[in-house]
Amino acid sequence: MSQIGSFALLLALALAAYSFLGGLFALWQKGPVSERVGETARRAGIATFAVIFLAALVLVTCAFLNDFSIAYIYHHSNRDLPAPYKFATLWSGQEGSLLFWSLLLSAYGFVLRLRYKTDPRLFAYASVVIAAVQIFFLLLLNFAAHPFALMQGSLPDDGTGLNPLLQYPEMVIHPPMLYLGYVGFTIPFAFALGALAMRYPGEKWIHITRRWTMVTWGFLTCGIFLGMHWAYSVLGWGGYWGWDPVENASLMPWLTGTAFLHSVMMQEKRGMLKTWNMWLIFSTFMLSIFGTMLTRSGLVSSVHAFAQSSIGDWFVAFLGIIFVVCLVLYLLNHKHLRSEHKLESLVSRESSFLFNNLLLLVACFTVLWGTLFPKISEWVQGTKVTVGAPFFNRVNIPVALLLLLLTAIGPLLAWRRTSLESLRRNFMFPLIGALIVGSILVAFGMKPWQDQSYFYSLMTIMLAVMVALTVISEFVRGGRVIGRHTGQNIFASMWQLARRNTRRYGGYIVHFGVVVIVIGFAGSAFNQDAEKEMSFGDKLTIGPYTLVCETYTEDDNANYGSQWAVMQVYKRGAKIATMTPERRFYKASQQTSTMVANRSTLAEDLYVVYEGQNQDTGRPIIKVYLNPLVMWIWIGVWIILAGTILAMIPNEQAQAVAARVAAPARLAQAEPVGAGD
Amino acid sequence: MTALLFCAMLTIAALLYIFYLPGTLRLGPEKTRLSYLRERKDAVYENLRDLNFDYKAGKLPEADYQSMKSSLEEEAASILSEMERIQQNAALRATKIKTTRTIR
Repeated sequence: MSQIGSFALLLALALAAYSFLGGLFALWQKGPVSERVGETARRAGIATFAVIFLAALVLVTCAFLNDFSIAYIYHHSNRDLPAPYKFATLWSGQEGSLLFWSLLLSAYGFVLRLRYKTDPRLFAYASVVIAAVQIFFLLLLNFAAHPFALMQGSLPDDGTGLNPLLQYPEMVIHPPMLYLGYVGFTIPFAFALGALAMRYPGEKWIHITRRWTMVTWGFLTCGIFLGMHWAYSVLGWGGYWGWDPVENASLMPWLTGTAFLHSVMMQEKRGMLKTWNMWLIFSTFMLSIFGTMLTRSGLVSSVHAFAQSSIGDWFVAFLGIIFVVCLVLYLLNHKHLRSEHKLESLVSRESSFLFNNLLLLVACFTVLWGTLFPKISEWVQGTKVTVGAPFFNRVNIPVALLLLLLTAIGPLLAWRRTSLESLRRNFMFPLIGALIVGSILVAFGMKPWQDQSYFYSLMTIMLAVMVALTVISEFVRGGRVIGRHTGQNIFASMWQLARRNTRRYGGYIVHFGVVVIVIGFAGSAFNQDAEKEMSFGDKLTIGPYTLVCETYTEDDNANYGSQWAVMQVYKRGAKIATMTPERRFYKASQQTSTMVANRSTLAEDLYVVYEGQNQDTGRPIIKVYLNPLVMWIWIGVWIILAGTILAMIPNEQAQAVAARVAAPARLAQAEPVGAGD
Repeated sequence: MTALLFCAMLTIAALLYIFYLPGTLRLGPEKTRLSYLRERKDAVYENLRDLNFDYKAGKLPEADYQSMKSSLEEEAASILSEMERIQQNAALRATKIKTTRTIR
């Protein structure tokens, strides 16, 4: 089996190299020969997917067959590992996850090469860029991190097993989501680089890549939040985000990708920020590669970095090459990226996008600096200076609040310029709503002057209310226009409105999802925790809850042995639940892991951890956290995904209403695609 | 031996798919200034429709609406006039070529 896998990787490298060189030849030379070569290069790209898929299939099959002659399988699986985790072996270690990266890239490339007829020349350029990236990963797989490397000496009877932290259901879907996000940014990057190289006139390349970018952004968002949920459920520290380097690595391309999704609208609508957008997507791709490097090279220490190796040099070289190629192509073609319009006013939709971009980049730079600072300080001073959550929070919380303010203001500003009258007309409702909610919260005991975290929480909730009211007013106002012309009720009108301009209203739903999430974040200012050594019948009180320890028990299976506590939970005297926090000992890897018991409601999470036994007294230790509003975060993610999916659906053709609310007669020949007009 | 045979078959299948089946990749002509202007025109029309819609929704005062509308209409008019100029030049060139051929 391993020979087939190894050969498939070599063949894939040859095919990717041909796809790259043949594709380049076809773009540089004209004539029937180059057209034939171009077609063979396209087909070689498609065949690359099939061959890499075969290699991945072989690796997964080897995991199921317990083929411990392959070093990767020996280190990441064992005989008693449950089937879903055997499947997850593919992305559990460095070599496998690089193979998975390569597989996903070839799958994206496969779809792109099948859809080449949309714009054959632009797609041919993009195909060459994708082939180049593919070559890098296949070189890594063949010569630096071979997933089919064989064990030396006598064959072991069983593997050392999968890292216990990875033996959690979300780990079967979190890495694929994250990788689909990381890898997916290669596609808009490839189109952007192709468009720059061929001096593509106009903004159609953005239109072509818009859906790719949104799919990618959706996957990355989903991956990041699944990672947060995993950290919350498995690590047992009561939190979901710790500014860990690997968490940061996924956040950075998300921040620049979000900036790109906003600023491309300025390019499409007004032909502005062409250079900015080009470098934003270049940076996003480079940060994706950088993120992969952080996760896989062991450059920084992290609870999420499940690999340590020396492939960092390969990545640094690759990042250098990417930067040089982007810079050279930019210097050769920058005149082609001149803006068609200038910023007319600081109070306009354009400037709100610009500020939004600047803030997202400030956040990204802060995260990058904080992530790399321990390494930089080690290089410069010889001692590693650790950067913790206070550094990130000090910069990023105010930045996030400003972003939230822009999310509330931006959609209400007009393109080009906004008058005072327009400001008054649009802002009064959200502003008054936010002030009322703020006053109510202060009246009910939220004292922002007592603690900085309370102040941030109050501001977050007020701004969230402002954004929510902005979104609602946009839907209601638009719905009323539709309703006036169709006679439908407001809800049917709003639905039709969303169908007619899915991008705009899908975007508003995403904003609403963000509101729900930040309300969840705001709850963290009021977190409580308590810890106690608990024997039978002992009580622990936190907030309105009292936990009574009923018993401790043990179990054993082939994969792990476990101990857990049985706790009865009372709320204001009434019994409401039985919770069983657990601690597992995985036999193959000889490591322990925590299984948190969590009772989640809209108001708060009661989060119970069995921390093991006190070494001195032998008594079990129970730690309890009371985390308000956490469930809102996970609900917000679903709303964001719904908005993203809506934004990807093509607009429904405006029909009857379009005839009534027509553009000026002279310009009426255009096809109706607007916001439900 | 089985693995070797499988690898050989895999290579042959890939080569057959890539080189044996006939086909050419027609990249098509380079994108022209005219097609770019068509896209810009569509974008300006879309901006106009959005503006109309926002006005109908009550987001814009009358004065703002009129000023923005006329500015967008001017932009559309300049795009249309450049498109017309390019099309006229193209037609003129085609006529010249035709005339030259007829004289020959």
